Amino acid sequence: MTEFKKIEENLKTEATRLLKEGLVTVVLAYGKGFDENHPMPYAAKTIADVENIVFNEYCNYNMARYLVRYPQGTKIAIAVKAADSRAVIQLIQEEKVKRENLVILGIPVQGMKNPKTGEIIDSKTTCGMYNPVLYDLLLGEEVHGAKSASPYDVLAEYEKMDKEARWEFWKKEFDKCIRCYACRKACPMCYCDPCFIDQSKPKWADKAPQSPGNMMYHLTRFHHLAGRCIDCGECSRACPVDIPLYLFHKKVAKECEEMFNQAAGMSIEDKPVLVDFRVEDSDKILE
Amino acid sequence: MSRIGVFVCHCGLNIAKTVRVSELAEFAATLPDVVVARDYKFMCSTPGQEMIQHDIKKYNLDRVIVTACSPLMHENTFRKVIENAGLNQYLLTIVNIREQVSWVTSDIEEGTAKSKALLNGAVYRARLLAPLTSRVIDVNPDVMVIGAGIAGIQAALELANTGKKVYLVEKNSTIGGHMAQFDKTFPTLDCSACILTPKMDNVLQHKNISMLTYCEVTEVKGYVGNFDITIKQKARYVDHSKCNACLACTEKCPGKGISEWDESLVKRKAIYIPFPQAVPQKPIIDKNSCTYFLKGKCRLCEKVCEQKAIDFEQQDSFINVKVGAVIVATGYDLMDTKPLVQYGYGKYPGVYNALEVERLFNSAGPTAGKVTQRDGKEPQSIAILHCIGSRDKNYHEHCSRVCCMYSLKFAHLFKEKTSADVYQFYIDMRAAGKGYEEFYNRLLEENVKFIRGKGARVTQSTEEPGRLIVEAEDTITSKFMKLPVDMVVLSPAIVPRADYKDIARLFNLSTDKQGFFMERHPKIAPLSTMSEGIFIAGVCQGPKDIPDTVAQALGAAAEALTIVVKDKMELEATTAMVNPASCCGCQNCVRVCPYGAPAFNYEKRVSEINEALCKGCGLCASVCPSSAIIARHFTNEQVLAEMEGLMEF
Repeated sequence: MTEFKKIEENLKTEATRLLKEGLVTVVLAYGKGFDENHPMPYAAKTIADVENIVFNEYCNYNMARYLVRYPQGTKIAIAVKAADSRAVIQLIQEEKVKRENLVILGIPVQGMKNPKTGEIIDSKTTCGMYNPVLYDLLLGEEVHGAKSASPYDVLAEYEKMDKEARWEFWKKEFDKCIRCYACRKACPMCYCDPCFIDQSKPKWADKAPQSPGNMMYHLTRFHHLAGRCIDCGECSRACPVDIPLYLFHKKVAKECEEMFNQAAGMSIEDKPVLVDFRVEDSDKILE
Repeated sequence: MSRIGVFVCHCGLNIAKTVRVSELAEFAATLPDVVVARDYKFMCSTPGQEMIQHDIKKYNLDRVIVTACSPLMHENTFRKVIENAGLNQYLLTIVNIREQVSWVTSDIEEGTAKSKALLNGAVYRARLLAPLTSRVIDVNPDVMVIGAGIAGIQAALELANTGKKVYLVEKNSTIGGHMAQFDKTFPTLDCSACILTPKMDNVLQHKNISMLTYCEVTEVKGYVGNFDITIKQKARYVDHSKCNACLACTEKCPGKGISEWDESLVKRKAIYIPFPQAVPQKPIIDKNSCTYFLKGKCRLCEKVCEQKAIDFEQQDSFINVKVGAVIVATGYDLMDTKPLVQYGYGKYPGVYNALEVERLFNSAGPTAGKVTQRDGKEPQSIAILHCIGSRDKNYHEHCSRVCCMYSLKFAHLFKEKTSADVYQFYIDMRAAGKGYEEFYNRLLEENVKFIRGKGARVTQSTEEPGRLIVEAEDTITSKFMKLPVDMVVLSPAIVPRADYKDIARLFNLSTDKQGFFMERHPKIAPLSTMSEGIFIAGVCQGPKDIPDTVAQALGAAAEALTIVVKDKMELEATTAMVNPASCCGCQNCVRVCPYGAPAFNYEKRVSEINEALCKGCGLCASVCPSSAIIARHFTNEQVLAEMEGLMEF
């Protein structure tokens, strides 16, 4: 694997070139935070901004989150790791961004770390891929030969629980929720404005951080992300009270993949799976 | 504050038997905003209707709830009732306590409790209802008929005779359908061609019928009164506008294909007309058996054609047609009996299916009407096996309805044309049509042997090569029997067309377990479907004989006429709309709508709904993640209130 420092250099070189040649008006990448372990999402808009770009093992934000914030037609360069590239694909499928307006800077990488725990992020909380699925430029050598685990292996224990145990599990987890909505903010696929939970007519759930409202918020969000979650794990890392949101997302993604033979964000030719009818679709969902 | 009247119907004992109706009315009176609650034996009767209208005036009601049967039955009745009393028709709520309560329980406690819960929900929802205005749309006066068998032909002629323009779409290169394959029809034994071909010719000559043969529907857009249908004209490689039907081409053609029309019993040319009375009487080239298409040279037909009608470059083309109503009459297939290996169809040359036998009898068929087997010999003994794959839990549970009668017809024709012994193996004889029992009695006297027992197996005789053994249990004598015969005729289950799913999807039709198209209601709307403006006729709805098929076709024509006879029609006001401020631009609505009503406005980045196309099904509203879509009459607030009311119990 190409070293982080080298990737950072390549990122800076490409960002400078793209801005200089006027091919893009903004480069979405990572910038300095308050220390090494806490880089920040960063949008470089001028050549002078480029020197602030960093890339290290803590740059795990999914920059696809920021794509929908720019007006349609904005030419954007975006730095993406494997899961991030899937988010870009999913957004293209949903026509939130156009492929021709993007320059995708792919970063093949392994050994990303969670700044909070120092733990290596792998298939446990992300999709477990190392190489971007879609890119225009690759900023390092593709990772090959790395141990690849199924992103669904982590579900083994969860799936041992019966229906009642799962209900209890999530009730307990959601009771911790303080409704900061960091999960929603971090998620590249959560682009609704307004979010259903912020609406008052009808008021779908209580806004206070209490059990029934928390349950309604999270279960509905899970539901809205079914077949769309690209498993970057950012929601779980953003969560200040450590709710293992990735478990639910992975479980739904697994069922969806088994049922419809399509994983989210793997090809721009795909259609969003849950709103696409195919005659050969499984009827299992109706049983 | 609204003023609600609740009217509980007994429906005789239909409801009152398992719901305590007076208790339900007393309960209703205690609910918020309910100013009057009554129960009555038949709310749909004139006194019942007058009671509602009287109360609307007396109590100044602004909402009416009728707890009765399914809204499919009487919603329109009660809408008119309240409208005539000065209320907007959408301020009516029907609570279905018959189909969804009294008919599905025998426990009066349960029935009463569920009725109360449903009613409570309805009161909560009714308080939030808003008056709505129906939409008025223009109606296209033309009709399309899909399938030109006897059903399609009859419906098309009937409509055309009223002066309406009809597009008759047929997949094959000729109209006529299965009936044109038959020799005789039961029970009168009149010549099938003699009664069908005049109608086929009428279609050809009729100035109001546009006959689209060798065509398939590929896309259906629009809605009742304004369907926009795309039809694929499959390439015929013969320009029919130039062809003068001299058929010199078919004489010279060296190509050999399997004759679909003769049920694969013989070969036909690669350029051909299926049968002598085909309409249109003009050939097509079958690409799969044409020497030129297969090997790159030949073009003999082109050389002999004086009209220069042969066009090897012809491509599939697409025709766009706008109509106000559609009749689907796509007919049937026979079940493929090859998988039922016990009967040896496809394995033993002596085993035939019913349609093959129809062709053997037909003077225009492969044997010119002589009954000879595949080996050229006349059979000396013939067994006809009923119910092959039908009335059989392993394959198709339904009765195919016509097999008993055509099997009798076969027996008669075999007796007439050969000296063979004829045996019928039947489960029981179903002869429930006009003149059918008489026909059965006639056959009993024609020295046909009836064996009450289903044919269980057909094997090859080891002693006499080429002969077949039919094994069955004669259930009258309770004896197992083995009968040697020369020929076995299977009467296979009648099943929907192989492509029924495509048709169902194109026209949003639902199908029953077997794949036959579902009627809106088996008794009171047998030719309508759940898709407004789409009607069904003939065997695509379920197995039936020619008289029933023709009757249905006439009925469907009348139904279609009720739509296209008017220039304008009123549509339900229950459509969806988008609140652009909440739309997140995900386009889920655009993707799920079966009617193409929502479209994405790329400039404003929001979805917009074309109300003329919207059927009010609510799919878009349910997949909208930011609840930007409002389904009128079923708004989120209304539905949530109803659920709240339901869940109080």
